Amino acid sequence: MPYSFPLGPYHPALEEPFKVKVQCRGEVIESATVEVGFSYRGIELLAQKRNWVEVITLIERVCGICSNTHAMTFCMAAETIAGIELPKRAAHIRTIIAELERLHSHLLWAGVGAEDIGFHSLFMEVFTLRERVMDTLEAISGNRVNYGMNCIGGVLRDIPDPAAHLPALDALAKGLGEIVIPTFTQNPTALARTRGVGRLSREQAVEWAVVGPVARASGLDIDVRKDQPYLSYADLGFESVVRPEGDVQARVVVRALEMMESVRLIREALLSLPPGPLRATQGLPEIPAGEATIRTEAPRGEAFYYVASEGGASPARVKIRTPSFVNIPAIEPMVMGQTLADLSIIQASVDPCISCTDR
Amino acid sequence: MAMLKTILGNLLRPSRTRAPADMPVVPPTYRGALTHDAGRCTACGTCAFVCAPKAIHFTQEPGVSVSWHFFIGQCSFCGLCEQNCPTRAIHLRADVPGSMNSASGDGLRLESVIRLQPCTRCGAAHVPLPAATMDALWAAGADEAERGYCPDCRRWAASARLRTAFIPDGAVAEGGRHDR
Repeated sequence: MPYSFPLGPYHPALEEPFKVKVQCRGEVIESATVEVGFSYRGIELLAQKRNWVEVITLIERVCGICSNTHAMTFCMAAETIAGIELPKRAAHIRTIIAELERLHSHLLWAGVGAEDIGFHSLFMEVFTLRERVMDTLEAISGNRVNYGMNCIGGVLRDIPDPAAHLPALDALAKGLGEIVIPTFTQNPTALARTRGVGRLSREQAVEWAVVGPVARASGLDIDVRKDQPYLSYADLGFESVVRPEGDVQARVVVRALEMMESVRLIREALLSLPPGPLRATQGLPEIPAGEATIRTEAPRGEAFYYVASEGGASPARVKIRTPSFVNIPAIEPMVMGQTLADLSIIQASVDPCISCTDR
Repeated sequence: MAMLKTILGNLLRPSRTRAPADMPVVPPTYRGALTHDAGRCTACGTCAFVCAPKAIHFTQEPGVSVSWHFFIGQCSFCGLCEQNCPTRAIHLRADVPGSMNSASGDGLRLESVIRLQPCTRCGAAHVPLPAATMDALWAAGADEAERGYCPDCRRWAASARLRTAFIPDGAVAEGGRHDR
């Protein structure tokens, strides 16, 4: 006897509201429908009512996890319109913050993922590591979330002593290499809950247009940092991580290896921090009429910004397409034929960010 | 056997929970309690302009004072007011900010009154320049009498200087009061 089962919007597995309605026969899911829109705040419209400085603060609150990516991408769009060239040091600092943010986002995800499969001790280990990242971010920016580092034309804060952050990176690389990655890839409990679960084939990945680690775990080698290098990625050299399996295990491995790559990028950026100014412009920004589209690689995949200016005090239009917007619908093909108990880890494996999606 | 090893290891190792003593140090860039120095404020309104959640606003009592207001319930601690203040009147210290109970109701409210001064030339009430700014501006050797001028009279004095530089023999009659 088939029955339908609503999971959410107030979620047992995730902190944010979204709803998955599944049709089951016994324990097996036959189809699923995803509903979003429970935390809509109208940020795109609000952005048209605020001036260019205020919009950065506003855009930073699109997402609670990848806040810096949004503010940074918006600033890059405004810089493109105004033809401002970013100073080298500012580009490096932005790269460091973006990669630290990726680390903290992926670690948060790994912790929540471990929790979803009932692996609490791994959750504790992962969150101990994440705390090192948060401390580093706080030491650089003065805040654990919403760092407020970006302004149009550069960054607001310097990293005066880059070498002071290297021990945290060493501890992180050690923790990832010795505890997190071996546990996720060798522990029988973790393997039983992730291997072969929630498969998304390469063809399905193309069809559902997924981005970021979800796409890379299905064998699609797409990463804006490699395809269209921005900031300092071209200088630092970047290697993307791709897995062909397409299951939850592959998504875990892709994110884990990406964290190792992030640690390497941050270390190289800290060691090669060029001298120079932090900002290309002084005072309040003046953005002439024009429009720009910018793509950056957020922790969850490609973030797309379209910003239009009519030369006034506020942007004429800010269009945001976040990676979760395309990744969340892909939960539907992933859960088909899977057991109901695996629904929670499968939807967590795309790392859905609902506040980004709803804006 | 493996479990026994883990238990023994855990017994011999110190606690991994952070004690209050090994909390991370508060970074100097920490954005905490906000302070405003009325003596440095020129009431230019830049802080209110850059404040996205509108936690800062100005009120005025015409001819007497301008007041700077801050409500912590709306503050997002982005630090843009401090970054953009041209006279460094606003500072976010590394202390814990005051209580913030709700976005609309009670919570810390700061008010800082900037007294207006009469212009020594035309008598119009104006916000005086901060002492540090004045010292920097007058270091070049401008007329000391101009220190008490309002912005309009300062502008008038500057253009009068320019005029006499071009037409030195006083061909232009002494300018009257500017329109108010």
